[in-house]
Amino acid sequence: MLNETDVVYRPMTNNVKTINQAMIDIMPLALATIPWGILCGSLSIKIGLSTMQAQLMSLLVFAGAAQLTSITIMGAAGSITSIFSSTLVISSRHLLYSAVFREHVRKRSFLSRSGMAFFLTDEMFAVTCAYIEKNKTFSALYSMSAGMTFYVIWNLSTFAGIVAGQYIPNLERLGLEFAIAATFIAIVVPLIKELAILISVLVSGLSALILSMYTPDYALIFATLLGMLAGYFTPVKESDNG
Amino acid sequence: MDDFWLVLGVMTCITFSCRYLFLSRAVSFELSPKIKRALSFTAPAVLTAMWVPIVFLGHKSSDIALLSSPFLYAGLLTVFLSLKIKNTLAVVCIGMCAFVVLRLTL
Repeated sequence: MLNETDVVYRPMTNNVKTINQAMIDIMPLALATIPWGILCGSLSIKIGLSTMQAQLMSLLVFAGAAQLTSITIMGAAGSITSIFSSTLVISSRHLLYSAVFREHVRKRSFLSRSGMAFFLTDEMFAVTCAYIEKNKTFSALYSMSAGMTFYVIWNLSTFAGIVAGQYIPNLERLGLEFAIAATFIAIVVPLIKELAILISVLVSGLSALILSMYTPDYALIFATLLGMLAGYFTPVKESDNG
Repeated sequence: MDDFWLVLGVMTCITFSCRYLFLSRAVSFELSPKIKRALSFTAPAVLTAMWVPIVFLGHKSSDIALLSSPFLYAGLLTVFLSLKIKNTLAVVCIGMCAFVVLRLTL
């Protein structure tokens, strides 16, 4: 018979604690992307990808915004060049994330660094930065656990979308795309901590609206670049620099 | 999609490269503060360029007017909520519920 007190009171090792903490921290962010994963899966089926192709997108590319954009462009029979350039622009923010992690992981093995890179997402970056701020130290175990948890949820929700997409026609009509808008709003608004970011966001949003009427394939890229430039060239008050 | 495997392969390479580049030991240069500053605007800019068209043009896919669009009102409500509530999941959930309710009533 199982001795319950033994199970409850057995001291947890620090590693298990770290892994648990990582899973707890990333879970709300992972849950918020479920509708988005479902949409990715069901749209992939709708534009004619096979089940395996749709799942491989999430397994290998593992980048929600880039996947969704490429699926939309593929569905509209857009050009391959626009798919690749969108992917590059959307992914360029990860350059910054990897530059931030650089000092922490440089001494680790190739396998460890590749793993960190593969599981690097906005959400993993966000919880890792919070962890560093709180504990004053970097933990590869923490980051990897958070990243892998996110990976599993993302792929499960893609799979749910693939299955649902085959049985429920017009699943995307339910307004799952609104879930994306809601998620992005919830991520972006707290990021607006200075005037430059506000300007960047306003310019990017307005140009996205205007450009999507003229060049739907390239609207995202140009709107993003315009937003970045606008933010970059917004004069910074000296007091904001600290 | 005839070129799917090409698209998948190249996309995998692009996303992984962006994530790996500065973790690689071969890359010895550092990003200058100016480039870091420019890149710090990518996340807000790219995410906004995706959500704004959904909120303001989402009604076009189902032939309804902008002023009776659930995308518009639920979107504005979500913006307001995210100013007030820190919890991302709560914001997304309330926003989604509002969208569903508005869609059924408007």
